[in-house]
Amino acid sequence: MVNSLIYKKSNIRFLSILGQRGAFGYALTELVKEKSDIIALTGDLCITSGLERFYKKYPDKLINAGIAEQNLFSISAGMATMDYVPFATTFSNFAALRSNEQIRHFAGYLNENIKIVGFGAGFAMGMFGTTHYAIEDISAIRSIPNLTIFSPADCLEVAKVTEAAYNIKGPVYIRLTGVMNHPIVYKDNYNFEVGKSIRFFNGKDIAIFATGIMVSKAIKLKKFFDESNIGVTIFNIHTIKPFDKTSILESLNFKLIVSLEEHSVIGGLGSVIADNLCNFVEHPKLLKIGTKKEYQKAGDYEYMLNANDLSNDEIYMKIIEIYNIEGEKENE
Amino acid sequence: MNNREIYVKVFLDTLGVEEKELEGLKYQDVPSWDSVGHMSLMAELEEAFDIMMDTEDILDFSSFEKGFEILNNYDVEF
Repeated sequence: MVNSLIYKKSNIRFLSILGQRGAFGYALTELVKEKSDIIALTGDLCITSGLERFYKKYPDKLINAGIAEQNLFSISAGMATMDYVPFATTFSNFAALRSNEQIRHFAGYLNENIKIVGFGAGFAMGMFGTTHYAIEDISAIRSIPNLTIFSPADCLEVAKVTEAAYNIKGPVYIRLTGVMNHPIVYKDNYNFEVGKSIRFFNGKDIAIFATGIMVSKAIKLKKFFDESNIGVTIFNIHTIKPFDKTSILESLNFKLIVSLEEHSVIGGLGSVIADNLCNFVEHPKLLKIGTKKEYQKAGDYEYMLNANDLSNDEIYMKIIEIYNIEGEKENE
Repeated sequence: MNNREIYVKVFLDTLGVEEKELEGLKYQDVPSWDSVGHMSLMAELEEAFDIMMDTEDILDFSSFEKGFEILNNYDVEF
């Protein structure tokens, strides 16, 4: 399915214009042509979920559960017991936080085959404010057994993740970040494997583990590191769980490991890496870069990234500062 | 083909409409020019004219006629 979407350059750009949520809706509309057991459910966010065309083409395959997210996932679990493959969409915070107990019960405990699609993760909901931001969702879901957690880097990867989620016989959480006109990470087809991170570059100094839209930011920073003669390797962690442990093994000889995410530094990708690093007696310092620990005044997307020191400049400066301190320690 | 012919062809190919429908055609006038169709149209125009549009212009691209005005800002002359 996915291959038909991507071989034309304009299709990759088309998906990027849609943004991650629109790309998801488009991918699901393509996927359902071949997979008749797919059913889409939404918490009154049909168009916002990118499912407008899906609904027009397959009105009998979309259920609007209303603004009642706990019901949304309960109904999805019921559909799963009837051998449907439900993709249930809402804002990430309403999925992970408001419906946490339903996810724990139906996805975790009962291992029902539901696909939870949380969009607008991070600060993508902009002026909707803190009530709609999802900066704790990975943390809230990660400890629940049985769930696979995806956080795609760009819109092409959203299509890959959507197909992969269908093929997994078990519950999945898909975390969609960013807004329209999403940066393109993959300009051509590539091999995607669940739980296998994707490596960019081969620097030996700093290993940057990034997820979601932050992968594109990390890649943009490469030229600045080049100018400073600092070698970087970037890992696209598209699958938060199960985590690719080999990426940790490949990073043990670096001078610094950095986690980069549009999520709290507590409980997200940085914590996943820390959980794995602690298995080793010696390992590089881990710098966790994510959202600030306190809630802040709301603003549009770019404003919120800047307010959380997640602009390219701020990220670069943070990394360089710690890298230099580690270098001084090494020289002592 | 000149730029106008390219512009028209992208509309015809992407939206599946006939040329006589183009004059006065606005977003959501035909089923194929829905939100997804719009983004597909934008991507095809970008490729055809080797440009990359800003989000504001993509959202502002509300009709066949409006497109001329927007593309002019990217040095596409008609």
